[in-house]
Amino acid sequence: MEKMVDDGYAIRAENVVKKFGDLTALKGVSFKVKKGDVVGYLGPNGAGKTTTIKLLTNLLSPTSGNLYIEGIDVNKNPQKALKNVGSLIEVPGMYGYLTPNELLTHFGKVYRMNDERIKQRIKRVLKTVRLQDWEHKKIEDFSTGMKRRLAIGLALLSDPEILILDEPVMGLDPKGIKEIRELINSLSEKDITIFLSSHLLNEVSLTCNKVIFLFEGEIVAYDDVETILGDAKHNRISVEFLNPLSKDEIDDLKSLKYIEKVKVDGNEVKIYNSGKKERMHKILTILIEKGFEVVSFSYEKKDLEDLYISLAGKSEGGVK
Amino acid sequence: MTKILDNIKSDMYDMFLSTKFELRKHYRRNRIQMAVILSIFLASVFYIVPTIWNMGLADTAEEFASTNLGFVNLLIIISGALFAGDILSSEYENKTGLILFPTPQDHNSLFIGKYLASAIATFSVVTIYYGITALEIQYVYGISGMGIEFMKSYLFSVLYMFGAISLIFFFSSVMNRSITSTLLGFFSLMMILPITESVLKMVDIEPWFLISYYEGFITDLLGVIETSDFRNGGPFGSSASFTPDFYTGIYVLLGYTIILFILSLYFVNKRRME
Repeated sequence: MEKMVDDGYAIRAENVVKKFGDLTALKGVSFKVKKGDVVGYLGPNGAGKTTTIKLLTNLLSPTSGNLYIEGIDVNKNPQKALKNVGSLIEVPGMYGYLTPNELLTHFGKVYRMNDERIKQRIKRVLKTVRLQDWEHKKIEDFSTGMKRRLAIGLALLSDPEILILDEPVMGLDPKGIKEIRELINSLSEKDITIFLSSHLLNEVSLTCNKVIFLFEGEIVAYDDVETILGDAKHNRISVEFLNPLSKDEIDDLKSLKYIEKVKVDGNEVKIYNSGKKERMHKILTILIEKGFEVVSFSYEKKDLEDLYISLAGKSEGGVK
Repeated sequence: MTKILDNIKSDMYDMFLSTKFELRKHYRRNRIQMAVILSIFLASVFYIVPTIWNMGLADTAEEFASTNLGFVNLLIIISGALFAGDILSSEYENKTGLILFPTPQDHNSLFIGKYLASAIATFSVVTIYYGITALEIQYVYGISGMGIEFMKSYLFSVLYMFGAISLIFFFSSVMNRSITSTLLGFFSLMMILPITESVLKMVDIEPWFLISYYEGFITDLLGVIETSDFRNGGPFGSSASFTPDFYTGIYVLLGYTIILFILSLYFVNKRRME
């Protein structure tokens, strides 16, 4: 009999190790996702994101460790654990010779929905993913983006309490990306727990309230989006002037308070400072007061690799 | 107790859903239609062609049935490969398993449902074949032309069908590519096992453990030709003369059906979507 530990967490991973032969894809991953949270599982390609998601959906078994959904061990009792879970994993095949109606009707029955509810949900999810006019068309005639949207519709079919999405915007055009983003945001308002893997920091920042950073099979950070995004800023400001600065102007700039270092490239200047918002504001004010012809003024974001490296550095000696 | 019964009921329902879904997939891919057309064609051709060309039909119902049913084995192999060849392997190769497996559906029920769908589809095709042959016999030779032997042949064909389906299903459970599992299943029954059988006979070993050794019973049971009469030769020639034992054949076919089915479930349950 599977012991159920409902500790208020929708998803829980305990020291999960996954090895593929000599390769260790996950090196003792542990995290907890509270009910109603929208968590971004962020990491570069090969970090172990999809492996974690496959373990969470019983497509793989862990070498050691345990994964729980609503307190139920996924690998020991998958039927029960996955009852309230909708998932989208990688780019799934979609039985091209079937229609969305046939596909969704079958899966509706798998989730023990009655005929009336299946009909309602099919209409609803197909409208949500903008495929309402394609309900009775063969899936093989769909574009890649349409298949992706149908896969998301399938994940939503049973009105799940937990949604596990693996790179949900992969293969979508900008319009499709925006729609999926809006869809995830609307779902998060309904108190659905969403666990979303991505390698796009911006994507995660626009949809999630928490972020788990995975790097080379290890979690290097797990925090609120705001905190992580704070880490994503460089202490460097990029300023564009109307015209290239003269030598006197550059010397003048270097002598200003709060500025530590200046790098000039034509009419673009990189200003190094402490990175604090208040000081950035002061620098901008001084530049305007001194009559510098500022065209744009913005802090520079770290790219994802830089961020992973800095977070990995911070987490040395233990996961944050 | 109630909980156990509920679980059994739930698993049975999962099995039913899986069977129904697979049959729908076979239908949507026109596989059922193709197999039915093939069955109707093979069952009719030995009546229609001689009738059109005024060549005359066999003297007795048994002879007619024996000629007609000589192709049941081929029909079983083609249908089995069509319905079971890629039924498991394609879920991994085409990544459809990524939507099929992470659900609350019991995996054993899902796989058993797939097996049942293959068996039901092939069984229907075989039954259509026997049904048409029976109608032809009734029309040409009268109702008395169909004896108990005809029913025995039908039952043996069904048993052979289960053995063949289990073998093809097994290949589908362990192979990565659909084409490999389908072709391996087809050629095993069509060529590899019959050749092995001939080679074993050539070296005086009775191939009692090979499923193909018993396929002759489908027509032998009609009482027209003895298996040993036409099996002594083969492509390599043979000095040994073996006569397959009917009851051993039943046990071997049951063995193939059950053992390969259990092995398939074992391997497919161990298999992961990596």
